[in-house]
Amino acid sequence: MFVARSIAADHRDLIHDVSFDFHGRRMATCSSDQSVKVWDKSENGDWHCTASWKTHSGSVWRVTWAHPEFGQVLASCSFDRTAVVWEEIVGESNDKLRGQSHWVKRTTLVDSRTSVTDVKFAPKHMGLMLATCSADGVVRIYEAPDVMNLSQWSLQHEISCKLSCSCISWNPSSSRAHSPMIAVGSDDNSPNILAKVQIYEYNENTRKYAKAETLMTVTDPVHDIAFAPNLGRSFHILAVATKDVRIFTLKPIRKELTSSGGLTKFEIQIVAQFDNHNSQVWRVSWNITGTVLASSGDDGCVRLWKANYMDNWKCTGILKGNGSPVNGSSQQGMFNASLGSANTSLQNSLNGSAAGRKQS
Amino acid sequence: MEKMARVTTALGGNTITGRTMFCHLDAPANAISVCRDAAQVVVAGRNIFKIYSIDEDQFVEKLNLRVGRKPSLNFSCADVVWHQMDENLLATAATNGVVVTWNLGKPSRNKQDQLFTEHKRTVNKVCFHPTEVYMLLSGSQDGYMKCFDLRKKDSVSTFSGQSESVRDVQFSIRDYFTFAATFENGNVQLWDIRRPDRYERMFTAHNGPVFCCDWHLEDRYVFRFDIRRFFLRIAKYWNRLPRELVESLSLEKLYIAAGPLPTDTTGEGRCMSCLMLSAWALNYAPETSFLMLLPWLTDSGNNLTLPLLPSFSPWGQVAQTWTMLRIIYSSPGTVPSANLNHSLGKGSTSLPLMNSFNLKDIPPGIGNESRLERSKGESRSENILMDSSSTLINNDENEETEGSDVPADYLLGDVEGDEDELYMMDHENPHAEEQEYILPQEAFPLRHEIVDNPSALDHLQEKADSPHVSGNEAETVSLTPVESFSLISISHSLYENRLPTDFFNPIVRDMLLFYAEQGDVQMAVSVLIVLGDRIRKEIDEQTQEHWYTSYIDLLQRFQLWNISNEVIKLSTCRAINCLNQASTTLHINCSNCKRPMSNKGWICDRCRQCASMCAVCHHVVKGLFVWCQGCSHGGHLQHIMKWLETSSHCPAGCGHLCEYT
Repeated sequence: MFVARSIAADHRDLIHDVSFDFHGRRMATCSSDQSVKVWDKSENGDWHCTASWKTHSGSVWRVTWAHPEFGQVLASCSFDRTAVVWEEIVGESNDKLRGQSHWVKRTTLVDSRTSVTDVKFAPKHMGLMLATCSADGVVRIYEAPDVMNLSQWSLQHEISCKLSCSCISWNPSSSRAHSPMIAVGSDDNSPNILAKVQIYEYNENTRKYAKAETLMTVTDPVHDIAFAPNLGRSFHILAVATKDVRIFTLKPIRKELTSSGGLTKFEIQIVAQFDNHNSQVWRVSWNITGTVLASSGDDGCVRLWKANYMDNWKCTGILKGNGSPVNGSSQQGMFNASLGSANTSLQNSLNGSAAGRKQS
Repeated sequence: MEKMARVTTALGGNTITGRTMFCHLDAPANAISVCRDAAQVVVAGRNIFKIYSIDEDQFVEKLNLRVGRKPSLNFSCADVVWHQMDENLLATAATNGVVVTWNLGKPSRNKQDQLFTEHKRTVNKVCFHPTEVYMLLSGSQDGYMKCFDLRKKDSVSTFSGQSESVRDVQFSIRDYFTFAATFENGNVQLWDIRRPDRYERMFTAHNGPVFCCDWHLEDRYVFRFDIRRFFLRIAKYWNRLPRELVESLSLEKLYIAAGPLPTDTTGEGRCMSCLMLSAWALNYAPETSFLMLLPWLTDSGNNLTLPLLPSFSPWGQVAQTWTMLRIIYSSPGTVPSANLNHSLGKGSTSLPLMNSFNLKDIPPGIGNESRLERSKGESRSENILMDSSSTLINNDENEETEGSDVPADYLLGDVEGDEDELYMMDHENPHAEEQEYILPQEAFPLRHEIVDNPSALDHLQEKADSPHVSGNEAETVSLTPVESFSLISISHSLYENRLPTDFFNPIVRDMLLFYAEQGDVQMAVSVLIVLGDRIRKEIDEQTQEHWYTSYIDLLQRFQLWNISNEVIKLSTCRAINCLNQASTTLHINCSNCKRPMSNKGWICDRCRQCASMCAVCHHVVKGLFVWCQGCSHGGHLQHIMKWLETSSHCPAGCGHLCEYT
């Protein structure tokens, strides 16, 4: 059973992205009204908007939090071809009394010539890095060498994808056996380009990102892509939102040579493909243990997917956009009861958007 | 199966000795059944149908029931059952669809009594009613179950499962009218005998065919066996099983296993000793399944046992895993006897524990699951598991007790909760085990003398005395509480001092890798910490580091900083340990000239002024110094506190509105 709570967001236009911070106590929303709102969760579980400000001069597509060890840092990207890094300033007792915190623009990344469609911070063990992708098919990776100075970001890598990119996802695995990896999804509509998901891996020898794999089976425009958190797994799980929900596993094929020697070869398998949404799937998001996947689609529902002990993925819950459960979701009454105790923590730990788009 | 073996346990004092005996059968056997007092066993197969008596040290063939010049197909049996009330009554299920009853009291050579030819296909199972002498139930490959009254010539009622073939039928001990039937499509149906038109309940138990089921004696729980998936995994390892082990494996499961087992080249493949058990409390979700593990499945370096352990529901199996680890790594000497007496607690033996165990009270699955969710960040999850399992012992209480906090340095064998956990396992095992579950005693050399489980010994004692009570057929009987014995105690008895403690290291390593692949990093890290050096060398540094990092990250998400720090402190991986060592120095700058101060005295070298002066009293602060983070002025704790009561401006006069948290 799920408890859904409705928050009046007060955005004046479509909300494009919702993002939770590392601990799940703060939330950021961004919208076509060019503003970003930051919400804090109080002790009794209510969400209060603690900041709302105009961020860009165009629709803001995505917003994302950095790891708290770098401070309270947000990044947003927009149709106005820029990506901006924001930091929260502590102090200013006047605002505190009113309950408002103050966010300061630290840097604007203006290298893109087209709309920037996604921005994502890299996993914490890589330092303070972020990647942006834009509609001209270029993925840019920036790094701030000094974590104390957020205004200095340098462009480290430019990856040309040859396809208009719509989403990126970092591989969050902190294992030293896994080199940094980015998955890029494309919503390119041109008919001659087929494979819409590419995986780029950092090559220690050439010190560049090179394409490691292409998922040939994904041929429809990709709206969202997400690596599952890797808590000790030797392989990777990737979820893709296209016209249906797809889950891939990427198993690194062992090479005799150790870390040197170039890119890893992966054995890619599709472990699940669900078209229960019967429409375009817009967002996919994993929980923090990487065991439950949430997907949202044009049918206005959020579906949760979980694998059972035999690695069969199944739908474990359906929520309508207004938060009410759909009756078909409870397969057996008993089944949901056993999930019940896990739900409250699941709810909290759903990172990222539960509903792709909400009308304000 | 070409051989039949029986293992007895005879106890003298604290030692366990056992006997294994076997005899060669001429032909493969499909089923066996013991009579009421377990002095005789009937073996039935395609080409064999004999009765053996179980003597002290050997099997003696008593009777060959296949008589007649022309062997008819009626003798080819898929199942045999000996009536538990009537010594002379046997029933067999034949592969041609015939149900035959046999009366051993007949004077003629052919003991065949009645013949029911009502099924169209192989009859897979026959089952007598536990209390009624004349009621016989049969389940057949044609999907029908028939109930026969032996006083009549035809069947009394027919039950149609509307499903695929019936693989097993079993009367309920408790309910007079209820029986369970399992099917090839994984369904389990419950029927009332008075109502042949439809089933009472049906649920899907497994993904594959359900070959065997059994009722719990006291409560309305049915246990299912679906070992098909298992055997596909076991098949790989059969060639490597030591010969002695294979020969002495017990038989009952062969019957169950006969169907799906792939035969391997040596022909030993039919033996199995590993059961997957899916506990189905009828009121609970299918998720509460767990695995019964017989530890002597392994041989040196054979990764057979533990990886199969956690194949199914996570929660019950985690508790099991800890028990297994404890068995493997703890030596009895470290467990003080005082511990045991205390934990036994409830009575002089733990028999009362068994008797009053009620699965319904605290299902291990659900209990553990909710606890684990609540205490997700607890690195001492094993304690929690044990605590929740120890509540199972509290027969009188139906609610879970919040387990006591087990001391932080949990070492195997030192914690009282351990004993309880062992006994929790006892509870689960008997339900799985069958009445005459004859475990091989000498499959492995004994690891050590049993000194830490006197209660378990008592069980075995009882078992040797009265091995059979009024139960059902050997194949699908469930233990009465009195007869049940601890699987764990059996496992203890199998190990002798000769087995090195790191004998199981490869298996444990595989188990850890398994858990990690599932994403259950908490389990992997907890085991690493608990086992410490014992397992450290088995897993490479990189993987360990990855697990620790992920787990600490997870803990930090929940803001469980203290626990995460403990994990860092206790970790076995050097790269993680040093996380605690970073950023441990504080540099102090002189408050006047802002240059780093040397560590001697209170006078700054450079500006020759006293550092850290209290802003209120203008003296050097030698005790607690507090300062405002905004303007970096401060002083004695008491002075600043007193100052702030009156004014919130900085006492140094800089005009800052000081904030002290």
